[in-house]
Amino acid sequence: MSNDNHAVAVAVEKEGWLAQRSNQYAVGIMALVLLGSLWALSIDTRYVYLLVYVWFGMVYGMFLQYGRFCMAAAVRDLFAVGVPRMAVGMMIAVALYSIIAATVTVGGFSTFHPNAMGWHIMLGGLIFGFGIVFTGGCASGSLYKAGEGNVGSMLVIVAISFSQAIFVSASGWFDRLMPSSWVESAIAKDMPEELAVQEGWFDIFTAGYVWDLKGATLAEMLGVANPFVASFLVNTLLVTILPTIAILLLLYAVYYKKGYMRRAKISAPQLGDHARGMWSMFTSSKNTAIAGIGLGIFAGLQMWVTGALRDHYQIYNFGEMLSAMGHTTGLSIQDTVFDPGYWYITTQEAQWGGWIMQQLGVSMTDNIFFGLENGLPNPLLNAPGFMSIGIILGAAVLALSRREFKWKLPSLETAMFALIGGTLMGLGARIGMGCNIGAFFATVTNGDPSGWVFLAGMTLGGYLGVKAFNLWIERRSAKLDECEL
Amino acid sequence: MSWLKRLWQGRKVSITQEVREVELPGVGRVQVARRVDCLGAVCPRPQLLTMQMVEELAEGDVFELLSDNPTSVETIPSLAMVLCSTHLATVRDEQGWRIYIRKGL
Repeated sequence: MSNDNHAVAVAVEKEGWLAQRSNQYAVGIMALVLLGSLWALSIDTRYVYLLVYVWFGMVYGMFLQYGRFCMAAAVRDLFAVGVPRMAVGMMIAVALYSIIAATVTVGGFSTFHPNAMGWHIMLGGLIFGFGIVFTGGCASGSLYKAGEGNVGSMLVIVAISFSQAIFVSASGWFDRLMPSSWVESAIAKDMPEELAVQEGWFDIFTAGYVWDLKGATLAEMLGVANPFVASFLVNTLLVTILPTIAILLLLYAVYYKKGYMRRAKISAPQLGDHARGMWSMFTSSKNTAIAGIGLGIFAGLQMWVTGALRDHYQIYNFGEMLSAMGHTTGLSIQDTVFDPGYWYITTQEAQWGGWIMQQLGVSMTDNIFFGLENGLPNPLLNAPGFMSIGIILGAAVLALSRREFKWKLPSLETAMFALIGGTLMGLGARIGMGCNIGAFFATVTNGDPSGWVFLAGMTLGGYLGVKAFNLWIERRSAKLDECEL
Repeated sequence: MSWLKRLWQGRKVSITQEVREVELPGVGRVQVARRVDCLGAVCPRPQLLTMQMVEELAEGDVFELLSDNPTSVETIPSLAMVLCSTHLATVRDEQGWRIYIRKGL
């Protein structure tokens, strides 16, 4: 195994841990979050509901950075260089997280809602997967890389935020591209007039198409009543674990087996050799798998803590608490805000972009996405938004303490890829109802098969993205050669 | 316009051919045939450069790759296995990591 000779020699003399500049910064960030939390609590103890998002975000950021948990790397390394390591780690993480999600569901604390199943998920995944190859990071990957000092990843976050905000609120001639049956169906929903559902393609798409679809976990589809059987046997075993094992076997057979047998000098492999090969493939993804366990435990805990807080404050959504505290601007017309109660990335980023555009005078609330469903709160009161900020800060703390933090300025080429890819990711995330976390990871692990549809689309998009990226590289290096001649 | 070209291409990847000896922890003295400096480059460039090196070098030659991109640093040993090459060592220094790979098993 490569880990055996993975001899990492640290060239820095051991000094006091706090004497190192980067560790001082790490402690500084922790202190700032602690002081900020105390300040918020001193104003109103109910802010604890928002702070829970920040704290869990920080933990996620640390695990993401530790495991280099990056869906983009999983897809790209697989197709561009034939390395299955991150894809394997991701699959192990999915399997482990699903067991924890089932435990939370049986405990009655799950805040999960299944996504509507339909072709749009495949299409969204495809566009999203194409985008991540160019940005070099998925939605959560860009957050933790931003925490490592990667300025290109920060541009990706900006692009995702604004492309989503523009996409869900735009209307114009392209509304006419929507099938008339969707428009009729949207108007038939009898929504409040201020939303203008017949205007704006995303409104027509949501009200006229997605709302007519059904979303359910497999246990719900099959009508399994016993919560233990439903969560563990149907949702976890059938929807998550068995497909995961199938994918792992496929990855082994296609990408790992040949190289392993050649290294081990085995010409006629027996079943035992394959078992050892599988194990070697798993252990090379150890860090990602460990991160997967950690993310699973804490993502489950977050659902539990948020559920318990909702019980305690007798609320169903953070919007009710905000209005009780007197913050009524930015709520949706149902007096709600986006408040998933679990690990989610893209919707709160759309709200950042939307809020800024609204401050610039663009009307952003005459649509379903912001106006009816998610609201457009001030970023300072956006609870899931703080989860994303927490991810950046948590990743920065761990990167600093591991001396891996480094400001990396993108070249113009990387910056352009970040902006274009990020725009595509935002588009795909809205069509597919989430990113690789909200539409895939959190979805399949809770027994909703629509997540696999997203993954299939994302894999195909990633494959096409790698092809396009290679074409670009070849074209560019051909041009450079010409210049040198 | 030269500054625009520099910005477009970013910090240049440099490949030097000079042969030199380095002492690697747990391996001993090793002759390095080529040195690839891709500090500042992010995924997938370091991985692609590794593939290019393995393609260009002769069986048994060792090359050194400098990177400060943690994700690449962790992937490259697995990539070496896929390319049927040997990952000798990864050494941490102030700028980032130096990865040593020998072509062939």
